[in-house]
Amino acid sequence: MLDNDRPQPEFVDPKVDKHTVVALGNDHVVTAVKMAISDHLKENGYQVIDEGTHDNTRTHYPIYGKRVAEDVASGRADFGIVLCGTGIGISTAADKNEGVRAAMVGDVTQAKYARRELNANVLGFGGIVLGRDFIFDIVDAFLNTSYHATSKNKQLITKIDQIAQPNPEQKDNEHFFDAENKKWAEGAYHD
Amino acid sequence: MKVVIGSDKDGFVLKEKVKHYLKEHDYEVFDVTPEPAVDFVESSLKVTRKVLENGIEKAIMFDEYGVGSAMASNKVKGMITANLNEERTAHMTAMHNGAKAIALGSGIVGEKLAYSIVQHYLDAKYAGGRHQIRLNMLEEMI
Repeated sequence: MLDNDRPQPEFVDPKVDKHTVVALGNDHVVTAVKMAISDHLKENGYQVIDEGTHDNTRTHYPIYGKRVAEDVASGRADFGIVLCGTGIGISTAADKNEGVRAAMVGDVTQAKYARRELNANVLGFGGIVLGRDFIFDIVDAFLNTSYHATSKNKQLITKIDQIAQPNPEQKDNEHFFDAENKKWAEGAYHD
Repeated sequence: MKVVIGSDKDGFVLKEKVKHYLKEHDYEVFDVTPEPAVDFVESSLKVTRKVLENGIEKAIMFDEYGVGSAMASNKVKGMITANLNEERTAHMTAMHNGAKAIALGSGIVGEKLAYSIVQHYLDAKYAGGRHQIRLNMLEEMI
């Protein structure tokens, strides 16, 4: 996909299309849940970039958290949604990227707060800890809540954005995890 | 076991209750905010520094929603903070993510649930093995 090229679904209904692009990322434990979210979003007029993983074969959540974060940071997507079993691993991975404020939530209240007060641009939650309908409520609440700027929350956001040192080695580098993936393929990690 | 705790103004009352609970259960508590920090960025970074500089494995951050402490502290290289509001994620994140801290929202989690989440988190050990590749990947990131 080209930079800033938005996905073109085969059919966009102009009556429901929100012109909002959501990037999705997940690990192998929750691929089916990710697909249910993708269907739910498309039914509600969102465009979706599915960054994988696309099947149930064991893989590693930081890969997908990073891809979604970079879609959002670069403007290819307006928001990101990431999930793994608990949501902790992939939301932490997404947060460790420039230009991203990832919110790990367990309920609608936290999701709304993250948008309204922290202008969060990536949402994370547990795809097997939470049930389908509650997940839909959380996703809808996040996407339907706007950031309300105040002097207090602007100051907090600036402080959060200044914590991490930018890492040019990491940003938009699709080979960033190659060394670890190679060690995995060679059987260096086992239970 | 050593446990670091820290809070902003909103989380302070819950922090004090959990501190009492931890001492009653014979944990060695390091409170980095005997007085509340000005905001959750300050309190979560104080906890993060204490954890990373001293190699302490477990910590608890308090603010109103939990979201902000986790968002801020995960921006520190090497830190993994899990925002929680139930017990399942509490023990799974200790086992699979080796979470160095958890975040609790005082406006989200009540007193009894907070104790239970904390106990599930403290009782679970990091499993290592296949999970280590993911932690190594996180460690390489910002």
